[in-house]
Amino acid sequence: MKLGVGIGWRAEIDLTVERLDVDFVEVVAENLHVGHLPESVLLLRERGVPVLPHAVSLSLGGAEPVDPRRVAHLGALAEALDAPFVSDHVCFVRAGGLDSGHLMPLPRTRDALDVLVANVRSAQADLPVPLALENVAALLEWPDGELTEGEFLAELVERTGCLLLVDVANLYANARNLGTDVDRFLDEIPLERLAYVHVAGGVEHQGVYHDTHAHAVLPEVLDVLARLRERVDPPGVLLERDDDYPSDADLAGELAAIRAVLG
Amino acid sequence: MTEPQRERLAAAQAGLLRALLADGTPPAGFDPERLRVEARSLLNKRRGVVAALRPDVAAELADRFRPLFDEYARAHPRRDGTRFREDAAAFAEWATARGELTPPRRRRWWRRGT
Repeated sequence: MKLGVGIGWRAEIDLTVERLDVDFVEVVAENLHVGHLPESVLLLRERGVPVLPHAVSLSLGGAEPVDPRRVAHLGALAEALDAPFVSDHVCFVRAGGLDSGHLMPLPRTRDALDVLVANVRSAQADLPVPLALENVAALLEWPDGELTEGEFLAELVERTGCLLLVDVANLYANARNLGTDVDRFLDEIPLERLAYVHVAGGVEHQGVYHDTHAHAVLPEVLDVLARLRERVDPPGVLLERDDDYPSDADLAGELAAIRAVLG
Repeated sequence: MTEPQRERLAAAQAGLLRALLADGTPPAGFDPERLRVEARSLLNKRRGVVAALRPDVAAELADRFRPLFDEYARAHPRRDGTRFREDAAAFAEWATARGELTPPRRRRWWRRGT
């Protein structure tokens, strides 16, 4: 399915998103109620713009089984928006009774992969549409990793049949912060299972790259997108901006820069 | 069956979150500096969300907001199942109880007379 170039819909920039005339948008599933969808989202649907629900709270890589209510909400949203698929992350959010409030990286061990696979299968069984899973940005590395990140994702796809949402900014962050080999990652993951791609901005602070979604997209991140483009023509590429919103012209410029890389 | 894997993973993930969110013992094998960076990043995110939800509280506390919030946050890690809105309200109550924040003048109707 060809999606094109899109942007993350956020309530704070709803009019901007409508004006930017993008090919598709993504909504954060936890921010919406199926019963009263924002007028702007409904308008985009009326225009025929695909709206993809993107979840941040399933904690699929957590040790606990997935919460069926969270999966049901995501599924109901997919049906209400007539979305071709939904997504969440390869991460855990909660553990030991605490909520990190963030997408925490998983240990790349067989144990973690077995639990993730079981949780993903359980979510898939309750979802009306395919599930895509996204690589996250990490500031720290778990000890005793048994697989590279690319191998971990490839095996996840092989065992669950899920789609991949590749975030090139997160991949860049891991290359900068953890020494992940970008080309090896892109060679190891099954790009034929690519649903779409995320691009986002960030900032370096005291030698660590932070994936903030509140700064401009770095040329280095567009370079990672170019290296992905050398291997595959991605079905879609979506710009994520979550804070410190720039002018419409700046966002349009970032979308144009993405289009230029895609050629 | 994934029970043994789940148990091992649960212990590892809980240990990491305790270290990052509740001043727990740093788990073995992690770079201590990266644990500090991650802990600070999670705290910054949490503080930013609370400031966005309660700009009135952040404005009244001004320069004191950051140190006070950080003290509150370390003593009150967010429990699984709580919302950021509840976190923001709990912080406002905590700061009020400490005498750092003016108690709300107009009580809600259901609290009148109590």
